[in-house]
Amino acid sequence: MGADLPTDPGWDALARTARGDTGAFTGLVEAHQERLLRLCERLLGDPEEARDAAQEVFLKAFRKAGEVRPLGQVYTWLYRIAMNLCLNKLRRRKLVRFLRFETDPEEPDAPAFDPPDAAPDPASALESRRRWQATRKAIAKLPDNQRAVLILARFEGLSYRQIAEVLGITEGAVESRLFRAMRRIEAIEGREDAQEKGAPRVSRTEGKR
Amino acid sequence: MNRRMESNLMRLLHGELPPEEARDLRARIERDPALREEYRRLRATWEGLSLPPSAPVPPGFAQRIAARTRTEQAGLSWSLAPGWVRATAAAALVIGAAVGIGVGEIWPLGETKPAAVTQEADPQTVETAEAIDGSLAEGYWTAMDELDGSETEEALP
Repeated sequence: MGADLPTDPGWDALARTARGDTGAFTGLVEAHQERLLRLCERLLGDPEEARDAAQEVFLKAFRKAGEVRPLGQVYTWLYRIAMNLCLNKLRRRKLVRFLRFETDPEEPDAPAFDPPDAAPDPASALESRRRWQATRKAIAKLPDNQRAVLILARFEGLSYRQIAEVLGITEGAVESRLFRAMRRIEAIEGREDAQEKGAPRVSRTEGKR
Repeated sequence: MNRRMESNLMRLLHGELPPEEARDLRARIERDPALREEYRRLRATWEGLSLPPSAPVPPGFAQRIAARTRTEQAGLSWSLAPGWVRATAAAALVIGAAVGIGVGEIWPLGETKPAAVTQEADPQTVETAEAIDGSLAEGYWTAMDELDGSETEEALP
């Protein structure tokens, strides 16, 4: 969580891009491609789609290089473009599924990317995979606006202020969406646990509030 | 638990509370079992969220984008060209199209050019054509005279 520095060298690269220096833009892409691809993948849950989305994000940034005002960090501006693009893609995806009468929308059981096991022993590796799968499944069930806030807060490590800036909402809205996302995940996990144990479907939070 | 406390717990978890407020809240959590349970659960959910490392950046990703930006840049330079350059090019395009249409009118596609245009006329052919023309004209005027005469007669009382 870096402080917003007005002297982010990325702004200078964008200014040079606007003057026709495409080499400056390539440097900017190289500096931010990893985090942009990661964000798109976490939002869309599909590496192929994430690659296309990230490419689109950079091209949009290239086209807007001459219009953008240098405020804060370049990556929060890029995140904003990525968020809008990915949320639109998710909306379109939902619409297509609705029109096709598909029921299970997110296909959370299908792993998007199968990374090599970093865990030292098979039991830990298995546990990691179980957690990844459960998290994907739970995140996929969140409404888009809560999913966006949760991913930015939990996995991208952005502060409330940065999230508010990226999403164009107030810090209060960030706080409230994040809290609701957490409650929802608790409820989803509660249901999953209950199903695994064969107990009636009661969430951990039900009856408390 | 009220809304403010919920949001403070979330802020504590996310490291958003100023140090002094964080210390006070931790002390309160220690004292209050209900609050402690709430925080424990929230924290378990937060820390339980885990995603795999994302796929590596595909080789040549930045270069592919660079190629696309160069293509766009070429299009962009054209749109940013001075007005007179674009106007001249547009005028040239219009003139070219007009000339093309004109040529098409004179020599429509699929039709052969008239023999008279490409070849010298044969004198004998010219004579024959003139003779035919003359007889046709004569026949025409004779017929017209006959028609006029009959009509005039019929029209008179």
